[in-house]
Amino acid sequence: MTDRRIGALKIALAAAAAAIAALGAVPLYRHRHDRVPIVPGPGVTSVLRLSDYVPSLKGSMADTDVFVLAGAKPGGKALIMANTHANEPAGLLTAFLLVENAVVEEGTLYVIPTFNASAGRNTKPGDGYPLYFSIPTSWGAKRFRLGNRDASPLEQWPDPDVYIHYPERQMLSYLDVRNTNRTWPGRPDGPLMERVTYAAMELLRREKIDVAIDMHGAETMFPVTNCIVAPTKSSKIATLVSMTVKAMEGFDNHVEPSPGNFRGLSHREIGDFADTMPFLLEAPIPFLDQPTGPKTEKLLLDGRDPFLLGLARAHKLFVPYDAAGWPMDKRVGQHCSVSLEILRQFTKKYPEKAIRLSAVPRYAELVANGTGRYLHDPAQADPKALRYE
Amino acid sequence: MRKFAIVCLAAALAAALSAAPQAQAPLPKASLPVLTTSAGQSNDANTVNAVLEEAGIKYDYCDVPTVEMLAAGVGLAGKQSAAGFHVEINSDPAKFPKGTAYKTVIIAIGASLKGMGASGLTTDSEEARVKKLIEACKKSKILLVGVHAGGEAARGPAGSDNERMIDAVAPFADVLVVTKDSDKDGRFTKIAARTKAPLVKVDFALGMVDVLKKMF
Repeated sequence: MTDRRIGALKIALAAAAAAIAALGAVPLYRHRHDRVPIVPGPGVTSVLRLSDYVPSLKGSMADTDVFVLAGAKPGGKALIMANTHANEPAGLLTAFLLVENAVVEEGTLYVIPTFNASAGRNTKPGDGYPLYFSIPTSWGAKRFRLGNRDASPLEQWPDPDVYIHYPERQMLSYLDVRNTNRTWPGRPDGPLMERVTYAAMELLRREKIDVAIDMHGAETMFPVTNCIVAPTKSSKIATLVSMTVKAMEGFDNHVEPSPGNFRGLSHREIGDFADTMPFLLEAPIPFLDQPTGPKTEKLLLDGRDPFLLGLARAHKLFVPYDAAGWPMDKRVGQHCSVSLEILRQFTKKYPEKAIRLSAVPRYAELVANGTGRYLHDPAQADPKALRYE
Repeated sequence: MRKFAIVCLAAALAAALSAAPQAQAPLPKASLPVLTTSAGQSNDANTVNAVLEEAGIKYDYCDVPTVEMLAAGVGLAGKQSAAGFHVEINSDPAKFPKGTAYKTVIIAIGASLKGMGASGLTTDSEEARVKKLIEACKKSKILLVGVHAGGEAARGPAGSDNERMIDAVAPFADVLVVTKDSDKDGRFTKIAARTKAPLVKVDFALGMVDVLKKMF
């Protein structure tokens, strides 16, 4: 073959490689820059940014909205966070539902729908994860990004060989430096995700937040699922919440104590570094279990999998799983009911710091009506009022 | 024919007697002051405490009380919470000053390796500790209430940690209060039938509020 022909072949092969790379890159680029509108409801009184608490976050992908719903009557304060892990979307949907519907009668509610905003723009295509999922509504399907557990290395890189937790110096996996459920309480000059959690700690301390709820999802093969994880200071309320939702709303729930020697998690560090009572909620998400079929949008939404069914029959799962799966509406319903019950039990114990919400559906309504019923059409909203997650 | 009729009648009478519900032993009256604790260090001790608070019953609590602490009475000899050791003193000091002997002990049965580990215990040492405590309760004629609120999830095969805690407490309890889910295999029913202790079964742990209100 002549030099000219070799040259031409090289150019052709390079062009083909670039075309294949572009085919793969374009959807990832679009995913990273996709904007999901959120329609602030009648309860939203202002919108802050996490960078209001740590200015160095401003302009970064890690900065995110903090919706404030201040009640007509002063009272206690609660912070609800979602999408610490952006591949556990029931919390994200719950947060959207709260922002778009909740009205605070007494006290103040702060909601962060995408706590790890970078993780919400990260993907896991190597595992065959879908890039998006859609929730049916009366006005059409509303599309959300499916993110990843950790912040994107485009925002925070390189990773250390071992992540040494600040300030306890516990050695954690290198990946956990980008996991905002391992970087609490954070520091103002640490790696980006430590600054995110530090900003949240500042919010908790400056605003004197009484209750913090961090919404998650966990595999059905993992014992810490269908539960509230709570440290000693929150355990009495968590126990009452768990007993009440089980008895009165008919879904399973238990309390897992927050281990004192596992550092970096919200349910540990928020209570240790602020006066706030932390609660971490886990609803089952079959999609994350290892031994499932293909990771499709359908599996994400309905949780139905024949392999998990077989494992359930062999008593290998930690939740009561059957052929109905574990639909998203059930998970969102669990998060809504447990969150509302936490606020109710807190208000009962501390009436001088009451936090009362209305217009938020509970488990039975979400299972009956579907999550989409409570999402509002951004096309009908004032474009100036819309926010984007 | 006559003999046949007598045999049939006798069989019918025997069947009727065996189908008749056995008279449940009456629920004993519990007195204050009360100490709550755990056998196995699961979160079910918190469930018992939460239930008592809902019932408006003040209690002292320790996750790992010794026989000496039990004997010290209300206030638990001034012990304070520390890592792996939890104490709560809620008894009304006006009615029950420090040192007043406990009249009732409620033990929440449920094993947690995490909980036992956090208190520096193994299943063996926890079992031994609970046995000593129960002996002391019996010697001092303290009413012993065994509670199992963890449901089927807090059960296991014979010899498992959960079953060992049940073995250590249930046969010696003066009263057993369990959720129906906890007694799915009839274990507590069989124990209560053998010991003649009253057994109260509730649908959910929240139902224990009314039971304890009636007892105290």
